[in-house]
Amino acid sequence: MNPQSPKEITDYYKHLSLFWTDLIHLMASKPQALTSTGPMRAFATSSKKIATELIEINEKLMEFNKFYTEYYKQLSDTWSVAQKKVNQKVPDVPHDVEQFEAFKRIWIDIFDNDFTELFDSEKFGENYGKLVSKELELTKHWTNISNVILQSANLPSKEEIDEVYKELHALKKRVTKLEIELKRKKEDKR
Amino acid sequence: MRSEARIDPKLVEEILKFTRNVVDAPKLVAAPDEINLEVTPHEIAQVIDKTRLLHYKPLTDKQHKTPLLISYALINRYHILDIHPEKSWVRNLLEQGFDVYMLDWGSPTSMDKYLDFDDYVNGYLDSCVEFIKDETSTEKISLQGYCTGATIATAYTALHPENVKNFIATAPVIDGWRDTTVISNLAKHIDVEKMVNTIGNMPPEFMYYCFSVLKPFEQGIEKYVNFFKNIDNKKFVDNFLRVEKWLGDTPPIPGELFKQWIKDIYQDNLLIQNKMFVGGSHIDLKKIDMPLFTQVAVGDHLVSPECSMPLHYAVGSQDKTLRIYPTGHVGMIASSLSQKKVLPELGQWLSERS
Repeated sequence: MNPQSPKEITDYYKHLSLFWTDLIHLMASKPQALTSTGPMRAFATSSKKIATELIEINEKLMEFNKFYTEYYKQLSDTWSVAQKKVNQKVPDVPHDVEQFEAFKRIWIDIFDNDFTELFDSEKFGENYGKLVSKELELTKHWTNISNVILQSANLPSKEEIDEVYKELHALKKRVTKLEIELKRKKEDKR
Repeated sequence: MRSEARIDPKLVEEILKFTRNVVDAPKLVAAPDEINLEVTPHEIAQVIDKTRLLHYKPLTDKQHKTPLLISYALINRYHILDIHPEKSWVRNLLEQGFDVYMLDWGSPTSMDKYLDFDDYVNGYLDSCVEFIKDETSTEKISLQGYCTGATIATAYTALHPENVKNFIATAPVIDGWRDTTVISNLAKHIDVEKMVNTIGNMPPEFMYYCFSVLKPFEQGIEKYVNFFKNIDNKKFVDNFLRVEKWLGDTPPIPGELFKQWIKDIYQDNLLIQNKMFVGGSHIDLKKIDMPLFTQVAVGDHLVSPECSMPLHYAVGSQDKTLRIYPTGHVGMIASSLSQKKVLPELGQWLSERS
């Protein structure tokens, strides 16, 4: 195999990592199983997950950087254009208080207008949406890694806690409905 | 830039004075944390989960018969409606003889991520309306919603018109596709499903970001320069710090509520098209048939007038009034203009119907 594209390279290293962690785990799991209740056993069982997540984080990081660079490029381009406009409008250095106040007003108005125009634009919205999306994917991988560590310490994962929250929310809704029904029945009896 | 003349000594003096003000500031003014934002006396009438129903103490001997419930926005806290005795929306209404209640949505935590539109409309808001009806022995109340709180109030009024005698919509978020603000542009491009599934609630830091890009230089630089320039002006400083403290208090928005909010209002624009559902019930704006008073600000850069005004034309009410004010989103509720014009007009309209 001769990986070429960044995706092929990532997939290759992911496979390599999974192959060796799986194989070492299989070779070593029998004597390890004797201490199956300890945290190290639990951690070792799912440690390959951490390796996989780290490789995927690296891949996502490259995509994230692309949108992050574009984000700052848009900001710096807008800054340059706005500054040029200010220089054209106020070619002289302000020398007294009135001139300085007028310069400041012009500077703020031009910068606010240009930046608001940028933030209102389709190109900014689109890139920003993708940037946030990639950031969320990185967060997801980080959560997955944290879950491995949490589970090795016999603590509930984020998904398990979410299940409890969901159940609690559903129960609260049912109780509220029952309370309303009970109140209505009491009122009907009167 | 060309530089030829010498610098005016007054300018140097101004800079030195400004530097002195920055150094002296901590000695002259309180830290935002030390300021109490609860201005007008009230009692906590009801608590459900993290929400509180506040009941303000009357300031007149006689009061109008119909109580008024204010449904504040989901962004920041209710304090802006009672930020300063001289600019308090609540105090002004109390002085006009209204019996005022306020719904404080509280600060949701991770465990509240599954709270949705249904919980806010048919749960919290409905329970407050029922409580006030019981407490005041009235069959209907007046309901005012501000900003996103007005959207929740709109959904409520359409689903429970039998409980609402008068409806006041102040800068309501109604027609997401017509909204021309930066917030709407960002909202349209967000993968909200992924956001909520990954991080749960809408984090307050994200809200800070959305606000910081609105007039970034005016809000990010100029207003702080003005603050230090006016550090000796007690009234200015007090008002500034109160508003700043309010701006910084941005609670998270429950994930499921935020998801439906962004999708149904900004991305798919279902509310104004009468295609939105809350808790399985269809929201038909034509069912809003009671007197309606819509307040819109021309300079609103958070909810553009084009986004709010369609409510006036979409409802079934015969008795409806639309008022457009020459101010901004916050100026409409907490400024001298709101005290001199917005509130007297609202008070007169409401007193004739209360």
